[in-house]
Amino acid sequence: MNSNFYHTLFLSSIALLLTGCQSLNTKEQTTTPTVKVSEKEFLITITRPNTTLHLIDLQTNKVIRQCDLAAGPGPGTLVMSPDNSIAYILTNHFSDIYGVNIDNCDVVFSTQQSTDNIRVKSIASIAISPDGKEVYTHQNRVKMMNDHYEILPPQIAAFNTSAGLNVKASRTFDAPRQVATMDTLESGGLIMGGQDIFLMDMNSGKYEVILPSLNDEQPGYSAKDVLTVWQMGKVNNEYYRMYSRAKYNGKEGDLTNADYIWGHEIVNLKTGKAEAKDFGPLESVLFTSIRRPGQLNRVYGTLNDLKEYDSTTQKLIHSIDLPHTYYCINFSHDGSKIYLSGALDSIAVYDADTFDKLAHIKLTGDGSMSTSIIFKRQG
Amino acid sequence: MKHLKAINSKAHKVNEALKNDELDEVMAMQSPVGCTATTDPGWEVDMFGSVSGLCQPMEADLYGCSDPCWWPAQVPDMMNTYPDWSKNADSATKDWRNLDSVYPEEKE
Repeated sequence: MNSNFYHTLFLSSIALLLTGCQSLNTKEQTTTPTVKVSEKEFLITITRPNTTLHLIDLQTNKVIRQCDLAAGPGPGTLVMSPDNSIAYILTNHFSDIYGVNIDNCDVVFSTQQSTDNIRVKSIASIAISPDGKEVYTHQNRVKMMNDHYEILPPQIAAFNTSAGLNVKASRTFDAPRQVATMDTLESGGLIMGGQDIFLMDMNSGKYEVILPSLNDEQPGYSAKDVLTVWQMGKVNNEYYRMYSRAKYNGKEGDLTNADYIWGHEIVNLKTGKAEAKDFGPLESVLFTSIRRPGQLNRVYGTLNDLKEYDSTTQKLIHSIDLPHTYYCINFSHDGSKIYLSGALDSIAVYDADTFDKLAHIKLTGDGSMSTSIIFKRQG
Repeated sequence: MKHLKAINSKAHKVNEALKNDELDEVMAMQSPVGCTATTDPGWEVDMFGSVSGLCQPMEADLYGCSDPCWWPAQVPDMMNTYPDWSKNADSATKDWRNLDSVYPEEKE
């Protein structure tokens, strides 16, 4: 429902308009060609060897294109251009970005963030501006001297996506430490998921906390703990990350008698509204979760299990064991199918209602900790 | 700290931080930032002291731990010191025999 959604809406509107025009003019223009604007759903993800991009047609569950980049692996964090034609991949040991045309595998953009003796790492932190003109990274920088390392202040770097290959940052802004996943609001602000969730004005570089996380001092609860390098909210047009925390039963700080719970922090990418909410009991380890499109109170999570929670009642309502660990959970836009990926060499497709396994999509190499993106475009 | 004496530059900096009351700047690791030197369980036992929460099979988590330098004591740090550790093992489940132990290289 992000720019893809509006792209869809725009194309659908044109289709409706054209259909309407056609019916209105049927008598006069019986030969008017029918314009069919059909969109298909695709999934894109990354595996070894090197950095291999897989484009999967979700109508057939077949890999329809593989692009092998001569770059080292890890982490394989992806963002798509607004028209879904270019995939920007953070890879080569959290260092470099490649922009790849997914229709022909041409590399149309690249940057090597480390320069001279300044080593730069971006911990799964990549985002793209709503107009697609800039890619942003959060840079952890270290000056590597002969006898010691000097930690430099972290920063947000902006790269011009039309500048071609070996691009240098066009702008940088001071940034908070420990930022991992990021995304952009439709209005252009940059969301940074760190100790708290921050919003940066990309014109001035000023940033503010829009949702306290580690610094959320809600009485009766421990501090929140977040482990995420996967931004899985795109299908719902939201920035999304999961947290765990303890809910004390009685004495503040008494972990022995506390309940442990899962929750999520969400930023609506259209409105900028930020909220945090517990969604269920912490009974097993999960790495990612996602809200079901169309039924946003239903939360699905994965690692060794596939679990469904009702965030309204905060109850676990469905759970199955998985054949192996999957890091990454994603949803079809209509909310009917679940896609598990991001570990080993396969993607598993499950029915969101029954948890029946629908398909097993074989990849090559190893997914390590790559993310997946599901998007729509003309097939 | 009264029983410990600083003898190298890093230890002196810790002493300085104590004197200057700067320890509050050191925050708990909430977000992964690489080479965590964490003492959290993960490869041996899960967060509940059991094993069912460990990744299954362990190869499913191998590169997820080495790529981000997440468990540098258990698997090589591919982000910084051993970037080519997996070059002959594109698939952890099939090619694990090609993954060797690593040792610090002698400096000239």
